[in-house]
Amino acid sequence: MPTFKLDGKEIPFETGDTIIRAASRQGIEIPHYCWHEGLSVAGNCRMCLVEVKSDRPMMLPILKFDENKKQFLPDSKIKLVPACHTPAAEGMEVFLDKENVRKTQEMVQEMLLLNHPVDCPICDQAGECKLQDYWELHGSKYKRKRTEPVHKPKAVRFGTTIVYDAERCILCTRCVRFCEEVVGDHVLDKRERGNKSEIVLSPGRYLDNKYTLNLAQICPVGALTSVDFRFKSRAWLLRSAVSICAGCATGCSSYIDYDPRTYEVYRIRARKNMGVNKFWMCDDGFMSYKLIQKYRVKNGVIRAAEQKAVSPGDALQAAAKALSEIEGKRIAVVLSAQHASEDNAVLAQFAREVLGTEKYYLAAYGGWKGDKILRHSDNNPNRAGAIRVAGRGLAPTNELLKAAEDGTISAVVTLGPAGEEKLDQLDPLQKLSAVVSLSSNIGAFTEVASVVIPVAHYAEMDGTFVNAMKMEQRFSRALPPPDRVKPAWQTIIDLARAMGKELECGSLEDIRKRMPSAQAVEAEGSNN
Amino acid sequence: MADFPKLLTSRYELNESWLLSTVEKHGAYEVARKALTTMKPEEIAAEVKEANIRGRGGAGFPAGVKWGFIPKGNTKPVYLAVNGDEGEPGTFKDRTIMERDPHRLIEGCVITLFAIGGHIAYIYVRCELVKAIRRLEDAIEEARQKGFIGDRPFGKDHKIEIYVQPGAGAYICGEESSLLNSLEGNRGEPRLRPPFPAVEGAFRCPTIVNNVETISSISEIVRMGGKAWSDLSRLPRDGGVRIYGVSGHVKNPGIYEAPVGISMRELVYDLGGGMLYENRPLKAVIPGGSSTPVLRADDVVNAPGENDPLHAWQGKSHLDVPMGADTYRALGTMLGTCCATVMDNSVNMVEVARNLIHFYAHESCGQCTPCREGSAWMRDILDNLCRGKGRKEDVRLLVEIANNIMGNTICAFGDGMSMPMLGLVQKFYDEFLEAAKNGVPGSPLGDSAKELMLGSGA
Repeated sequence: MPTFKLDGKEIPFETGDTIIRAASRQGIEIPHYCWHEGLSVAGNCRMCLVEVKSDRPMMLPILKFDENKKQFLPDSKIKLVPACHTPAAEGMEVFLDKENVRKTQEMVQEMLLLNHPVDCPICDQAGECKLQDYWELHGSKYKRKRTEPVHKPKAVRFGTTIVYDAERCILCTRCVRFCEEVVGDHVLDKRERGNKSEIVLSPGRYLDNKYTLNLAQICPVGALTSVDFRFKSRAWLLRSAVSICAGCATGCSSYIDYDPRTYEVYRIRARKNMGVNKFWMCDDGFMSYKLIQKYRVKNGVIRAAEQKAVSPGDALQAAAKALSEIEGKRIAVVLSAQHASEDNAVLAQFAREVLGTEKYYLAAYGGWKGDKILRHSDNNPNRAGAIRVAGRGLAPTNELLKAAEDGTISAVVTLGPAGEEKLDQLDPLQKLSAVVSLSSNIGAFTEVASVVIPVAHYAEMDGTFVNAMKMEQRFSRALPPPDRVKPAWQTIIDLARAMGKELECGSLEDIRKRMPSAQAVEAEGSNN
Repeated sequence: MADFPKLLTSRYELNESWLLSTVEKHGAYEVARKALTTMKPEEIAAEVKEANIRGRGGAGFPAGVKWGFIPKGNTKPVYLAVNGDEGEPGTFKDRTIMERDPHRLIEGCVITLFAIGGHIAYIYVRCELVKAIRRLEDAIEEARQKGFIGDRPFGKDHKIEIYVQPGAGAYICGEESSLLNSLEGNRGEPRLRPPFPAVEGAFRCPTIVNNVETISSISEIVRMGGKAWSDLSRLPRDGGVRIYGVSGHVKNPGIYEAPVGISMRELVYDLGGGMLYENRPLKAVIPGGSSTPVLRADDVVNAPGENDPLHAWQGKSHLDVPMGADTYRALGTMLGTCCATVMDNSVNMVEVARNLIHFYAHESCGQCTPCREGSAWMRDILDNLCRGKGRKEDVRLLVEIANNIMGNTICAFGDGMSMPMLGLVQKFYDEFLEAAKNGVPGSPLGDSAKELMLGSGA
């Protein structure tokens, strides 16, 4: 691999790499605002200027004050090049650690702050703001401009999701480029000239595409902020847990940002994963964190003549009792495309070993409008995983309803909040003598169930999703589940135990060992 | 007054010189006919290269060399973009060509397109030059009806179309890459280079961008031959004649055609008729548009070294150095557009700086940080200095800002604004210190500030 030198350190690069990209791959950050790995090069912030050694450097005329003569005398300096636009070349010598480069970085930093309202105490970006970081690193100068800063529009609603503050904006145009290049929506542009410039919406438009919340994430300063996150928390109070978005079958990599004092989740951010989502996520994915806290089932429910809220343990006992009274072969199980593979694997094992039933179904949402960017038309994160661990074909839920109607089943155990059907379509289930629903959130199943057992949300457990590309993606527990609530796989083991059977899978490792490996399924896929 | 032969401006004084019927009697399109019917494109390009014509737009890049930058084996269409966005303060030469002899420009376009293998030329004209736009459009129509442009110009199977594109009033669109952006209908912002326009310009195709005067010279170059054209000049590697402009405190402001390499003294005192007021001697000259650093009338050349490009003029006034791209660079300034702004001793140089920086702060496109923020910062500092609210350290700060804008921007606008600032501070440091102490009494801002202070009883 060819290399170049950055401050004497060898940096390998691939053909076509710019200096900044090659350095960033080695974990060296050349200061920058406008450059973003996933976007085209704009080269407008001028923060990444570096010196490249040359035999015939281009010299620029400047002035230097001569203290003896008490006058300015001509001087010269080497012309710097933008690291974001200069291709790396074999044997090139690049310098960041030079007086000329440092001075330039300090001046660019100082200039960016000339008209910037230093309203960090009320700015959502504070704590994760490049202006703050680089102010510490480059110059730490107090403002030397003595005139009134330029005033521009503040708190401009760009749409339902994003608010724009033109005074905070450093005009790096990341947002403009993102909308054009990633979304293909020419909704943002710049207006005016000079330091009156600002980002504006196209006439007659507002930010209404499906990817707007990425703007809050890629904005290096506090100019574009999320309406949802605005004024809710401070960045330094939050911890990030590595996770996978459960919004659709793409399975974007994400961070779940929560407050470790209260375990309240404040937002989801996209996590870089070049194999899946690159740097981005869709708005529905960003907002899916709401389901971690909202519409949750936290207590057990028993519905007989009247509805009763009980502890999760009592609900479990009631379910075990109800299921024990029914012949195992007449009990159906409904796996969930919304739940982790581990949950589904244990439920399938429960069906095999405890119930001995042949009636397997899969509850999956009915899909949404996909696109060619990230959104998959299947809005279930783990359809492929559920099918894989079941080790057999799964019938859709409308056949479950038919079976309930026909009377071929007497009871059902469902995983997940709902399937494709709406609540009023689930009337046939009322005929069954028991409907046991294991769910983290309120859904159609929990509304018709005779017993509801709360289980952990995916953010509250370690698990695996298999996305539409058949990639097996592990996610880890970000938050503790509510009091006395366990992940579904543990709850099912408990349920079996309450029914007098011990499932041979004590731990997550055991379950995972039994699950068919990704390679096996991929081999199956290639046979088709 | 020196009497130089007229080539580019020979038809200016004719009655209705913008009509084809007038100029045809005086040789218009003769060269184009000759070039298209008897010459090969390479021959024309070779003549232009031999003519050593430096671009007349300000940067002084050899035009013939630029034409050679079109990639070999190029299969995309090639465009010619003629830069008529003349907006540099103090410059008004291209406008006269477009208004008074538009057919010379169109003839130049036809020859150039043939030479570079292009079929479409865009003449990008500053929108304020309404008369120029109309006359160009009328002239193009006349030429089309005569069959000089169109599908078979002069019977040659080489389709040629010329379009006039008015700008939208931005100085930055005179910068070649933002001109192309503007031409394409995008926001007029300079592009990152490389790729250079000759490789990837308008509509991502190779594009030659030349100044109006450069293209207008092409017909004369082809008529007399590159060598003869080059010999018209008084300087080596900088050929031909050019249109000089002079404005400010001179008796006869206006445009004058003269060989390349006349001295500033000739321009001001011979062509320009000398200083306007007998009792107010020359103080300084901005040689070629506002971006070129100022020359002091009382500076003398100090080049004792034998190899110094200015050694021949050792001990002489800066005004006596011939105006050429290389000689002026050695002087620490630039030739620019050769439209000099003459200032007598009544002019305060801090006020000059303030006036210029207001223009630059207003016209900065706002793309890169140093130029966007630095221009307005310098404007505020100079406003304060003129108002009498300045401090001594403001002068040093001004230099620090300009030093750090220099070379750190995408296009040459940043350099074009810092160079004159640095030049003014270097050469008139005393005046800046004086302004920091007492403000500038003659400045519009200075006066109003004084009134305000008196009004408040200060």
